Amino acid sequence: MIAVLGLVIGVVAGLLVRPEVPAVVEPYLPIAVVAALDAVFGGLRAMLDGIFVDKVFVVSFLSNVVVAALIVFLGDKLGVGAQLSTGVVVVLGIRIFSNAAAIRRHVFRA
Amino acid sequence: MTGRQRLVAGLWPPRVTRAQLTVAALLFVLGLGLAIQVRSTSDNSALRGARQEDLVRILAELDNRTERLEDEKQSLEAQRTELENSSDQAEEARKQTRQKEQQLGILAGTVAARGPGITLTIADGSGSVEADMLLDAIQELRAAGAEAIQVNGNRIVADTYFTGTGGDIDVDGNRIGAPYIFKVIGKPQDLEPALNIPGGVVQTLEKERATVTVTRSEKIVVDALRPVKRPDYARSSTR
Repeated sequence: MIAVLGLVIGVVAGLLVRPEVPAVVEPYLPIAVVAALDAVFGGLRAMLDGIFVDKVFVVSFLSNVVVAALIVFLGDKLGVGAQLSTGVVVVLGIRIFSNAAAIRRHVFRA
Repeated sequence: MTGRQRLVAGLWPPRVTRAQLTVAALLFVLGLGLAIQVRSTSDNSALRGARQEDLVRILAELDNRTERLEDEKQSLEAQRTELENSSDQAEEARKQTRQKEQQLGILAGTVAARGPGITLTIADGSGSVEADMLLDAIQELRAAGAEAIQVNGNRIVADTYFTGTGGDIDVDGNRIGAPYIFKVIGKPQDLEPALNIPGGVVQTLEKERATVTVTRSEKIVVDALRPVKRPDYARSSTR
């Protein structure tokens, strides 16, 4: 419950406060958000499986974000930034879908 | 314990555990990033999220477009200048044509004229003034620079003729009688001396016992008109 509250408060704060994102971070924010989403779905699935460990969740969340940002950064330096970020989004999307399918089986039993 | 039960247990009742707090903190960060990203994508059009190479391409396209539009503007401006010039020229040509028409109309006797000049009155009591004397007077006036002449309501032009003998004189076929009143437009200081020179028109007429008076005037109106006649055979050879 508190976790859900945290998400809601974060969205509201982002909309209300309107923080200025530094230009250096800006290109990596969308990819980082998608990576974090992947970690969250993974965590939810682990919780439903009964194997959720908060330490694993924190590490996977942070490493997902950092690795995704790193890949995009590297892609930009190599001149294939657009293609690489598309690739990252596709991979993360597939993972999110498979996690969502597992969650669905737990919640709806179908 | 099924997954569904675990989900319900996690949601209600709310428990403050270390796991819940850590996940809440990370989800807060996620929500923040999500909101910021959604906001910046929605309010600053496509350019904000665009990559460097895209921006360079867009800039180049805009530059090209600006150049094209600049070219177009220049050509349109040139066209406008051209049109303005040509309409000015047409207007100028029309003005000159109108002036020319007026001048030629005065010469051809198709328009009325006014200006300084003299009135020459020949009172002929004895009927001794002949047509050639009147013609002499006309020639003398023309030589002195007369620009428009009428005699007793007949406009004198290039093809005007005088016929008849003393007392019965025709101008262009119209019978006129004494006194003969010439209305002449021209420079009065030239016209009057030209008539009065020794052995000139006035003296010749006075020898025939006619009474001649010459009056200068600042405003002579020559309003007798000749109809416009279109030549049957002669055509303008210019153009």
